[in-house]
Amino acid sequence: MPVLSDLLNADPTVVNVYITILRWIAPILAAILLFRCVKPLLTFRREPEIWGWLCLQSGQKLPVTHWESVIGRSKRSDIVIELPTVSRSHAVLTRYDDGSWSIADINSKDGLYINGKQVEFHALKPSDTITVGGVSMKLQPISAKQEQKQASLRTKASSLGSGLINLFLLTAFQLLCVMAFLMTGAAEHAQSVLLGFGGIMICQWGLMLFYVCIRRVSFEIESIAFFLCTLGMAVIATVAPAEAIKQLVAMVIGIVIFLVLGWALRDLERAKQLRYVAGVAGILFLLITLIFGQEYYGAKNWLVIGSLSLQPSELTKVCFVLVGTSAMNRIVTKRNLFMFIAYSVMICGCLAVMNDFGTALIFFCAFLVIAFLRSGSVGTLALAVTALIFAGVVAIRIAPHMLRRFETWRHIWEVPLEGGYQQTRALMCMAAGGLLGLGPGKGWMKHVFAADSDMVVATLTEEWGLIMLVLVVLSVIALAIFSVRSAAVGRSSFYVICACTAATILLVQVILNALGTVDVVPLTGVTFPFLSNGGSSMICAWGLLAFIKAADTRQNASFAVRLLKMGGEEDE
Amino acid sequence: MNRIALRAYIVILVAVLLLGGFSFFLFEYATQAEDWVIQNGSPHVYDGGNIATGVVTDREGVLLLDMTDGRKYSSSEAVRKTTVHWVGDRYGSVNAPALSHYSTELTGFDMLTGTYKYGENGGVARLTLSSKVQTAALEALGEYKGTVGVYNYKTGELICAVTTPGYDPDNVPTTGLETGGPNEGIYVNRFTQSVYIPGSIFKVVTLAAALETIPDVQEQKFTCTGEYKLGSKKITCEEKHGNQDLKMAFRNSCNCAFAEISQQLGADTLERFVEQFGVTKSVQFDGITTKAGNYDLEGAMSWDIAWSSIGQYTDQVNPCTFLTFMGAIAGDGQGVTPYLVEKITCDSTVTYAAKTETRDRIMSASTAKVLQEYLGFNVENKYGSDKFPGMTVCGKTGTGEVGGNKKPNAMFVGFVEDAQYPLAFIVAVEDGGYGVKVSVPIAAKVLAACKEALDK
Repeated sequence: MPVLSDLLNADPTVVNVYITILRWIAPILAAILLFRCVKPLLTFRREPEIWGWLCLQSGQKLPVTHWESVIGRSKRSDIVIELPTVSRSHAVLTRYDDGSWSIADINSKDGLYINGKQVEFHALKPSDTITVGGVSMKLQPISAKQEQKQASLRTKASSLGSGLINLFLLTAFQLLCVMAFLMTGAAEHAQSVLLGFGGIMICQWGLMLFYVCIRRVSFEIESIAFFLCTLGMAVIATVAPAEAIKQLVAMVIGIVIFLVLGWALRDLERAKQLRYVAGVAGILFLLITLIFGQEYYGAKNWLVIGSLSLQPSELTKVCFVLVGTSAMNRIVTKRNLFMFIAYSVMICGCLAVMNDFGTALIFFCAFLVIAFLRSGSVGTLALAVTALIFAGVVAIRIAPHMLRRFETWRHIWEVPLEGGYQQTRALMCMAAGGLLGLGPGKGWMKHVFAADSDMVVATLTEEWGLIMLVLVVLSVIALAIFSVRSAAVGRSSFYVICACTAATILLVQVILNALGTVDVVPLTGVTFPFLSNGGSSMICAWGLLAFIKAADTRQNASFAVRLLKMGGEEDE
Repeated sequence: MNRIALRAYIVILVAVLLLGGFSFFLFEYATQAEDWVIQNGSPHVYDGGNIATGVVTDREGVLLLDMTDGRKYSSSEAVRKTTVHWVGDRYGSVNAPALSHYSTELTGFDMLTGTYKYGENGGVARLTLSSKVQTAALEALGEYKGTVGVYNYKTGELICAVTTPGYDPDNVPTTGLETGGPNEGIYVNRFTQSVYIPGSIFKVVTLAAALETIPDVQEQKFTCTGEYKLGSKKITCEEKHGNQDLKMAFRNSCNCAFAEISQQLGADTLERFVEQFGVTKSVQFDGITTKAGNYDLEGAMSWDIAWSSIGQYTDQVNPCTFLTFMGAIAGDGQGVTPYLVEKITCDSTVTYAAKTETRDRIMSASTAKVLQEYLGFNVENKYGSDKFPGMTVCGKTGTGEVGGNKKPNAMFVGFVEDAQYPLAFIVAVEDGGYGVKVSVPIAAKVLAACKEALDK
């Protein structure tokens, strides 16, 4: 290829001019791209929707505004009936994809009566009379016509055009990267660089094409993920170009899991069944590692099969999210929360034995969020945190290498060549990079251990600038805020808990990785989602993204949500 | 769902934790990045203990060291030998505190662009030294160990600061490093980091103190019989100087006369003036702190006081500090601080430019004028003005007895009076012998080279 050889043998002056311009263009392009992706996620309107009416005998009509609604005396209930005979949380009314409804008793004092008979759970027919605490009512679902109208009014996910513009911006960014690496890098790595970045481009356009085929238009969340993957690839191109292919393969597997998981989540009943599989798989992954795993760098969390090395605990994260979630009727009765606590303790125990405290901490934070979402009890959380501190003290006593990390924390400059080596190099290199970075391939961090994984933010900042790091961190925060905002219009608490837990795991990983690198928190050796070099971590990040995607109820936004009936046409 | 939607905000709490921690880091970055980037071992700034970015030149732009890619020194061996103590070597055996001091300016670091430089060229530090004068000084010193320093007493520029034995960083000596060997102490920058027993050059200090405190000292007559008795001990001169006034006593470097003056002054006055003149204090410039000297009369007997007033006893002075003292005399009682780094440019912007730093007045202008006259008389009447063609030189030699079987330190300090050559100088030669015989010719050669450099 003549163009390629031109790039590889570019005149030094041309290279210098190019890098000088790129240093400015790259953050600007990234900022525009991320702003365009994040804005609709943070500003989409959450219209109040009405899915049916509860018609009381008095003629009063109570609107049903969610797919899962708690009927009760408490002000926090979705449908409030202020009568002393009604329990604070009395029953849960659930709507399904096909428009059918059910009702379940949630440990009410007086019980739930359908057509005069006490029931625990009942699939509602339009003629059924529901009696709650002496109040009788009938459910009147909205008509198909009304539903169509409501669906068309639902906030549209950004248009296809907007998504295409974002993708073109991202592609432009990637092309600029590739050119820079070809100009500055060694010729023998040209193939890896081309394959790595080219592979990401093919994946993102392929996924977009697939979405167009299934009439989905929202690509913001995916664009953010692909952007982070691109920066991760840029770090790999500097630190370990030979591993570009491996990372690309991991990304492809990740996307496949993202799609499969998203599809599985479409159907709530199917997803509920999946939880049991996930529960068993999650614990199995850890047990296999415990038995057959190998110890690297003080943590026995690697599974080596031939030339492939895996960190199964990453995959357990995805399973854990599924195990922890629950639909509303289960949440209020708190029936299976204890099972979940036992499960969490088991997982954290396995990780502790493996010496993988960073990952254990991630699970613990995920556990806290799930526990709070399900119980709403601050007291439970306080108890759990106390338990953690207690466990932490014991862990430090047992595993002295843990203590060493705490010893150097906030004291790295006192031991710059010993315990603080990685972090002092990181800070010096990050400072050297300034706001704009030294340019791709120009960094020194590559000489430091784990420059493309645990220390990835330092390498990124050194070469691409602090502005880029700020953008990266903010975009992860945006994903989290989106998950929270989506909760109000969630189809089921199942999806809300999934999305919020996934977002929490992403956030905690960023906290431990980025803030650990810069010595704000102790260094624990956790990966940065999408950015760090590591196959298991990449797969896990895409898996978690599927949960966030499944909570996206904007019109035609998510492949993980069935299209609403519009014009009588049903997708799938 | 209302409850869950509300509880979901706990995720925001986690996001706030991240945002808070990250903001804390950004604050640290904003306030400390400048320190981080020049920390010892910072990969983009240091290499093997020494700064490793940028180019160092002499006052005329002659390359001394190019650190763009490794460390490339001057092509001249003499220049390499005479500047290694200022620009540092490859292994950190000799540090370059002045360059490290300006590492921020030299790397061109700023928050926006970090250490990035177009085309990867670092900054250019222009030193005040002249490689030609350095070479001349090295030749003049020959096999002697010692130091020569010359600086502009109006601006502070150090034009010459040579230490011997120096060594070639491209060809580091491995033999003769033992005590007494030809390469003993090659890593020491004698100009800033050693102290010498001053000998008679210290009489300038005693003379200045006398002029400041004894009103009629210039009218006094001093009779030298070759010895001056103090109790059971005595101070001796090598010859009988007979009857002399103060000016002649100074010209004769008469130990007996100065012993008498020291008794008139007393220990407290001498100590006070040594302190006031800053003769034993450290001088600080460009991140360099010179070694402090010594003048301590605690518990001293009158005999000790007499010896101290003529630069023996426990007296020790640092060449750079004493040079600054001579500069103050030349500057009518008020000197300037020397400096080594003239200017640093980075990507065509000036990141540092030296400024002349005037020091506190240490003596009255009238005292300084008398000292100038007396020092000028020394050269005119004793050392020979013809040795310094084209310049009016004022000076005082010294022979610092060090004991043992070593020859004395041969010292010569002074300055050029002419307005177009405002140069103060010091020559210190170890194991040299008489100042007049050894140091004056060295000073003559170096000053001639300086004159040539300034004439351009």
